[in-house]
Amino acid sequence: MSTFSRRDFVQLSLASAFGVSFSGWLPRLAAAANEAKGKHKACIVLWMAGGPTQTDTLDLKVGHPNGGPSKAIDTAVPGIQITEHLPGVAKRMTDLSIIRSLTTAEGDHDRATRLMLTGHRPGQEGVNYPSLGALFAKELGDPENELPHYVSVSPFRFGGDASGPGFLGPDYAPLVVSGDSNDPEARANLSIENLKAPAGVSKDSMERRFEIAKFLQNDFASSSKGPSVKAHQANYERAMRMIATNAKGAFKLDEEPAALRDKYGRSRFGQGCLLARRLIERGVSFVEVTLDGWDTHADNFAQVKRNCDILDPGWATLMDDLKERGLLDSTMIVWMGEFGRTPKLNMTGGRDHFPLAWSVALGGGGIKGGQVIGDTGKAGTEVVNRPVKITDFYATMCAGLGISPAKENISPEGRPIPLVDRGGTVIAELATAPEKAAKGI
Amino acid sequence: MRAFVTRLSGFLLALLFLEAAFVCAAPPEDGAARKLSTLELAEWIDRQFDKAWQEANVQPPAVVDDATFLKRTSLDLNGTIPTVSQAREFLGYDGEHKRATLIEQLLNETKRPQKHAERTAAHWATLWRRMMVPGNTPEAQRAVLFEPWLKEQFLTNVPYDEMARKIITVQQNTPGVTAKGPAMENVVSTPVIFFQTVGGKPETSASAVSRVFLGVRIGCAECHDHPFADWKQKDFWGVATYFSGIRNGAVGDSPLMKIRPENGPKEFEPALLWGTKAEVPKGKTSREAFADWMTSPKNPHFASTAVNRVWNVLIGRGLTDSVDDLDKAPPAERAILDELAQLFVASGYDVKWLITGICKSKLYQRECIAVDETSGDPLPGLRPLKTLLPEQVFNSLEQALALPVARADAGPRFNGLRDQLVARMNEAASNQPDEYRAGVPQALLLMNGRITTEATDLEQSRTLRGVLDAPFLNTEEKLKTLYLATLTRHPKAPEQQFLLEHIRKQPTPEKQQQAFQEIFWGLLNSPEFVLER
Repeated sequence: MSTFSRRDFVQLSLASAFGVSFSGWLPRLAAAANEAKGKHKACIVLWMAGGPTQTDTLDLKVGHPNGGPSKAIDTAVPGIQITEHLPGVAKRMTDLSIIRSLTTAEGDHDRATRLMLTGHRPGQEGVNYPSLGALFAKELGDPENELPHYVSVSPFRFGGDASGPGFLGPDYAPLVVSGDSNDPEARANLSIENLKAPAGVSKDSMERRFEIAKFLQNDFASSSKGPSVKAHQANYERAMRMIATNAKGAFKLDEEPAALRDKYGRSRFGQGCLLARRLIERGVSFVEVTLDGWDTHADNFAQVKRNCDILDPGWATLMDDLKERGLLDSTMIVWMGEFGRTPKLNMTGGRDHFPLAWSVALGGGGIKGGQVIGDTGKAGTEVVNRPVKITDFYATMCAGLGISPAKENISPEGRPIPLVDRGGTVIAELATAPEKAAKGI
Repeated sequence: MRAFVTRLSGFLLALLFLEAAFVCAAPPEDGAARKLSTLELAEWIDRQFDKAWQEANVQPPAVVDDATFLKRTSLDLNGTIPTVSQAREFLGYDGEHKRATLIEQLLNETKRPQKHAERTAAHWATLWRRMMVPGNTPEAQRAVLFEPWLKEQFLTNVPYDEMARKIITVQQNTPGVTAKGPAMENVVSTPVIFFQTVGGKPETSASAVSRVFLGVRIGCAECHDHPFADWKQKDFWGVATYFSGIRNGAVGDSPLMKIRPENGPKEFEPALLWGTKAEVPKGKTSREAFADWMTSPKNPHFASTAVNRVWNVLIGRGLTDSVDDLDKAPPAERAILDELAQLFVASGYDVKWLITGICKSKLYQRECIAVDETSGDPLPGLRPLKTLLPEQVFNSLEQALALPVARADAGPRFNGLRDQLVARMNEAASNQPDEYRAGVPQALLLMNGRITTEATDLEQSRTLRGVLDAPFLNTEEKLKTLYLATLTRHPKAPEQQFLLEHIRKQPTPEKQQQAFQEIFWGLLNSPEFVLER
């Protein structure tokens, strides 16, 4: 059964009241799309496709043969050091924490991506697990918002796509924002596919098309009834509203001061981070921004530096920008990829897949910053202290967002599936309100 | 028109002959039911439901008009809407058996240009593949490669039990069907792909096979006893032992023996469902033994599950709703399902016979019922609106827009546009025929995507250009043709009035052409284009 809110009904009947007149409901729709509704909990995932090396980013092994050439620098938090190539991130360490002891069991891109994005090992009992974007969007999303709850900016994956809604269904599917290139001209166009009317079709013509479509909808609905008719009508209503409001203007990045855009970095990732902030401001609950290029089997150090040069300004500016707008304490930021990379270099100066002991970072809303969890010893080859499982990591993210990890969704087979697999424990040092989360608020 | 009449009568003769042959060819043997003709099957179906409705004191919906029937059967069998000329032919012809003949034609006609039989086999291969590996799962893309094999089975009407046996007992080196066509040139399609795409392990095989062929959801019992049904962990792992030779995606055989789940504390004995003793006769592999048991007419779920799936596809909901889980069926629904299953067994598991018989029934030809929040559960046998599958949406667009289909023209089938559209639609496709789940990205694709944009562009659109440039068509006829091309019907009076006014009030011929563009766009984006009545 498709879900259909009361609001949709109201809007449908309003729309039918306009009936067949060409009286321009387009501007009315645009006017109805009001701006920000105050603070809501949200999450931004910075997805490092390919598997980022921990040894050259957040868990350096200075003085050990496994360590790379990059120097460790002090961060804003005494005692925590990270790579010199992330100076901006280092300065914001009070609002960020690093987990250095994540230990997972999937070393293949496809399977590991699915593990990290769903919290479950893939292929278990044929369950099509929802991605965390869908899970969190379902818990946090405001059904009244004109924009989708879950937006994915220029996603890139190895293997099958695990960012979908799984069994939760299309209500929680990501709205995918394209951005196929790093072309300086194209990057301003981080936009929704097919949001714009085709070239040569005027606004008036578009409006007449909508009127005709609505006439046909009403005509169809007068003789055929059922949930699918309503779902179709509501969906077109939403899509037309997105076109009419130009998605609440979220994608008009050129409204931002040029200096701020420069600070984010004029890259797809940097501008994607800026877009993430604009989406969160407009009520979106979950945004994923992808930075590709971390599968560094060869020439690791040079490639990691290039990646960091893109990552650092985007990530750091995003944190500042959210903080200035008072949104950082309600917006959780997560940095992760599908696995880490081997501490020991291979023959081609690269690092290979390594899920045994690796790093992720999280901060902002609901997370106590300035901490390091776990330790991978001098060589980085194993967790020597405080191993963190994927379920612990998921439980901690849930806690940060005020969601109970034990909450269950019901699969189409009628099976209750908890948000986080059994056995996950919130990392108490990181959660600002661990007791609340553990109790299941 | 004349050609159609000749073809019709030719078909009719062949049909009568076939029906007679079927009846004679199936002599009743010791108590076994004989094979009914497809007309007898249709009558049997109608008797069951007429009785049920009478008892419930319900007036069944009317039988649909020819246009709706044509669109419905074309979508259900061919997987696409018909062309304008097919629609004109069918609607203009007034023969007595035109509907029965159309069904036979869509299922059996192999001649160019339509090659209906091939289209139908391809569509049913898609349906079966989607049922085995749902379209919105990460494995779906690879599972598409199983379709050429399935298509071959439907095209040659391989009995269903035999098809199931071929799937269950496939070997890594069993010769397959070499695929032709875009995106899968020279791929060898075999049931090995089925076992691989469901997981390539004993437990994933057990779970998929029992769901697909037996309508049993024992997958839940992999880790714990089923919370709602009687299935225990020992049932699940017992079945899994039969598939022990399937490991890491390689399909092989191994002797029947105990199995220990990965990281599991205990081993499980081989077992079959419903208390059948687990054993493998000498000279057979464990999967052969499993196939014997599974496809036996004595198996209480095998034929019923198949019949329910075909019914679900054609009517929009199963004879009993839970096609993957017959354990949930209420006894009354289960009774009629089992009776139909017995007829199917007596037909020799003849899939084409089953489809033909259902389509010929009055029940199949009735109007959709209006379900809303207040009307509750509809009566069995009544059809809801069906949502087109992603593949049907593309096929219908291809037909309505007269898109180039030859390889040399590099149309959407070859240039990637089809795959993009199907992939995007699959992101929000349902496994229930009556559910519409598309979201904003899917709507935007149909509104502003490249296929629609080109279709409504005066320079590029074949259909629109053809209609607008036809000197022998007046404005009304032009509108009619666009309706036939997209919705397989003529506009009703209010529609005609509203749309003609929209055209006529335009001040210039250019603006009038633009009005046609807008109307064509509206028709392609109307609910009637993606919801099957």
